[in-house]
Amino acid sequence: MKIGLFIPCYIDAFYPEAGIATLELLEKLGQDVEYPLDQTCCGQPMGNSGCNSDAAAAEALFVRNFARFDKIVMPSGSCTHHVRDNFDAIPQTDEVRHVRENTFELVEFLHDILKVEAFPWAEFNHTVGLHNSCGTLRALRTASMSELGEKPFSKPMDLLKKVKGIRFVTPKRPDECCGFGGTFSVTEEAISARMGVDKVRDHHDAGAEYIVSADSSCMMHQQGCAERAGVPIRFIHIAQILNGAAQ
Amino acid sequence: MSNRPVNHARAAEHFLEDAPHLKFHDERLWDMRQKRDAQMHMLPEWQELREEASRIKEHTLAQLPEYLEQFEENAKKNGIHVHWARDGAEHNRIVGDILKAHGARSLIKSKSMVTEECDMRPYLEKQGVTVTETDLGERIQQLDDQLPSHIVVPAVHKLTSDVAKIFAKDYHTDPNIRDPHLLAEAQRQAARPVILHADAGMTGGNFVVAETGTFVVCTNEGNADLSATVPNLHIATIGIERLVPRMADLGVFIRLLSRSALGSPITQYTTHFRGPQDGGEMHVVLVDNGRSHRLGMDDFWTSLKCIRCGACMNTCPVYRRSGGLSYGAVYSGPIGAIIDPTFNERKYSTLPFASTLNGSCTNVCPVKIDIHEQLYKWRRVLVQHREIPFVKREIMYMAGKLMGQPKMYRAALRATETSLESLPRFALYNWLNPWGKHRELPHPIKQTFHDWYKKNRATPAATAPESGK
Amino acid sequence: MSARDTILQALRANRPTPQNHPLPPVATLGDLDASRERFITNLKILGGDVLEPVEGETLDQAILRRHPDAKVICSNVPEAKGTLPVERIKTPQDAATVDVAVVRAAFGIAEMGSIFLSEAQLPINSFAHLAQHIVVLLSTGELTANMHTTYQTRPEFKSARYGVLMSGPSATADIQGVLIRGAQGVRSLSVWFT
Repeated sequence: MKIGLFIPCYIDAFYPEAGIATLELLEKLGQDVEYPLDQTCCGQPMGNSGCNSDAAAAEALFVRNFARFDKIVMPSGSCTHHVRDNFDAIPQTDEVRHVRENTFELVEFLHDILKVEAFPWAEFNHTVGLHNSCGTLRALRTASMSELGEKPFSKPMDLLKKVKGIRFVTPKRPDECCGFGGTFSVTEEAISARMGVDKVRDHHDAGAEYIVSADSSCMMHQQGCAERAGVPIRFIHIAQILNGAAQ
Repeated sequence: MSNRPVNHARAAEHFLEDAPHLKFHDERLWDMRQKRDAQMHMLPEWQELREEASRIKEHTLAQLPEYLEQFEENAKKNGIHVHWARDGAEHNRIVGDILKAHGARSLIKSKSMVTEECDMRPYLEKQGVTVTETDLGERIQQLDDQLPSHIVVPAVHKLTSDVAKIFAKDYHTDPNIRDPHLLAEAQRQAARPVILHADAGMTGGNFVVAETGTFVVCTNEGNADLSATVPNLHIATIGIERLVPRMADLGVFIRLLSRSALGSPITQYTTHFRGPQDGGEMHVVLVDNGRSHRLGMDDFWTSLKCIRCGACMNTCPVYRRSGGLSYGAVYSGPIGAIIDPTFNERKYSTLPFASTLNGSCTNVCPVKIDIHEQLYKWRRVLVQHREIPFVKREIMYMAGKLMGQPKMYRAALRATETSLESLPRFALYNWLNPWGKHRELPHPIKQTFHDWYKKNRATPAATAPESGK
Repeated sequence: MSARDTILQALRANRPTPQNHPLPPVATLGDLDASRERFITNLKILGGDVLEPVEGETLDQAILRRHPDAKVICSNVPEAKGTLPVERIKTPQDAATVDVAVVRAAFGIAEMGSIFLSEAQLPINSFAHLAQHIVVLLSTGELTANMHTTYQTRPEFKSARYGVLMSGPSATADIQGVLIRGAQGVRSLSVWFT
């Protein structure tokens, strides 16, 4: 199985350590991974803004980069959601369909495809609160949703529980959106920031030292809010913990 | 009516400045959501009920002309006068004419979102009819000259002290009352004489049963029943999408409505009107006002399934922190954001963007409207119709171009100064500036992932050439 | 063209394909327990109460015990005499003088603790709403399980012109979310089982 690694633009530019952890983790798990150097973006920012036709070039490039892989893996729920569910600015050729059907968010990939049983190298002696982005939660369905009353399950939690030393706390409103929302974060800046502060306070009040998430975009926003509001909490991508992050 | 796009962001900013109101609003609506969840957990058949409700509604909408005709025929048989209104103005004329024919000068009414849509009150008042809202929340909003901020709890953005101030002015109660019981009692005492002397009563209608010619009104305060049974003239204003085929279908909807709305099993009153009371006269005004047009919109027609429970508002993290009035429309919150643009695309062009697309609204919707997906689709439509700001459109155009060209993109990342050359820099910076207003920027890094990979992993053979295609 | 025809024509032109949206069969879901216990539990959740008879007590005495300050008690049932003959309630407004209205419900719903009243059970429809309090007689034999069984089996929905399901007394939470029982309709609702 040849895996193409997609690193979202904001991880590339702001959180390279999350990208490196993703790559190293997949390699530790014996996977044949390649990062095509010509990649840029999946097209999500344009798509979410309604400017769908402007996403065409990014989507076409994405397909050019990734069509030759068996599976495409990315440490981002919202990008996976875009590719899987909204990637339609370009004609839907067999190649495009192949790419869309074989794109996975990292947690899904580890949990559902590789079915990883253990991360023997991973230890994290901290109390964490898990943040599921709305993309992973309600679009990719990597965890049960509080609104539906379904039997509780959580793929990221299943993975994190295999890490030595880690402790969990649950905030009061675990499913509440943190307010990032892509361009929403600037066009509705006040609400967005307020939601972010409420989110980080909720985790902090629950006793979390770290917020862990499969989405760096949410955490970029939350971190910005926490730092400005003086909420002492740290942020870490799930790939870093599973890869055995230095603490 | 002004056509200027509603500035939701600015109204929201204003709402956020008032900490006590914000805190109460957010917590109160969240509590309603929690109570709704508790009800859901008590019913193992909850998802089946939602599915049933959705299918019944979709079926009914696809057969709406037939069911409307069936309702009309049965209602007439039972002695109900049935009227049809193409739009708000026609609705108001019809109601005005009925009142005139009876020499009615005072109208008491229970809550009806359709009459808000039609802006009926000012019309009737100009004709010399005194209109009194009898629902407590709606009355507070009437006295304060505001739209309802929530379709179920119209004054949820107000605190007891606000209500005390409003009542002091109109009911001459003590402005310092802080006990809601005293204020509710003041409303009861003020409303009673008005109800007893009213010439006509008006209600809305939550459900309309084609099979029997019945319409159903669900309330908690008893004011709709008072409005309908005390005066001998009862007018009901109802949107044409409120139909269900069979009496038995109500079982599904009544079980879902109040549980979704307030987290109570049922409203205190569920009233079935099938004909006028002895000595009385009953009129039903069926209102289109854009609904038949909406039925033809492939991506948006299912918004007509809405039973107006407000669950999407209660769960919406944006609504809870911005208040219903920030939407500047009769319908606020997520459902408002997908319905309002069908009334006026330009004015409400901002509302589908007043969302993070988190999808919680869709999950709580008792009739399974894919609200957040419709928000997403509305954004596309509004862009196609050029109803989004020029700067944003330009930025997306430029970003889209850049994202298709890896070399330019890399160059841009290395030197943001020289990037996006064809876009005036002030525009970009102005647009992105708000990020820093209440948030820090991400920390600077030593090396992008891309550069790290090239240094640590990549071999020339392993990667396709950047200029290959 | 009339408004009616304009609307119907637009709906016909715009509607989705009816064949794609068949009518599902009538649903009967959930708990089908029609017991008095379930009814009482739910009645209390919605703020209603049961008027339990004390040994040897008549209904009139029980009503006075529950509503000691009531001056005008008006009964529409033979089981209670009250203080005001029900024939005196002639117009809808007349009911405003009543402190306690006494009626018999056609049936009750266990799922909700609701009782059903129509013009067949009321001297005048406003009687159930203008009175300050209501006492409702209910036969245990007239309990139905839930809303599905209610609408499927009760004939009243196809005969009554006015039919109300009352679930506890009137209520509001419109001021700062505080639940207040006794909003604009009756301030209390008590059920007397027969």
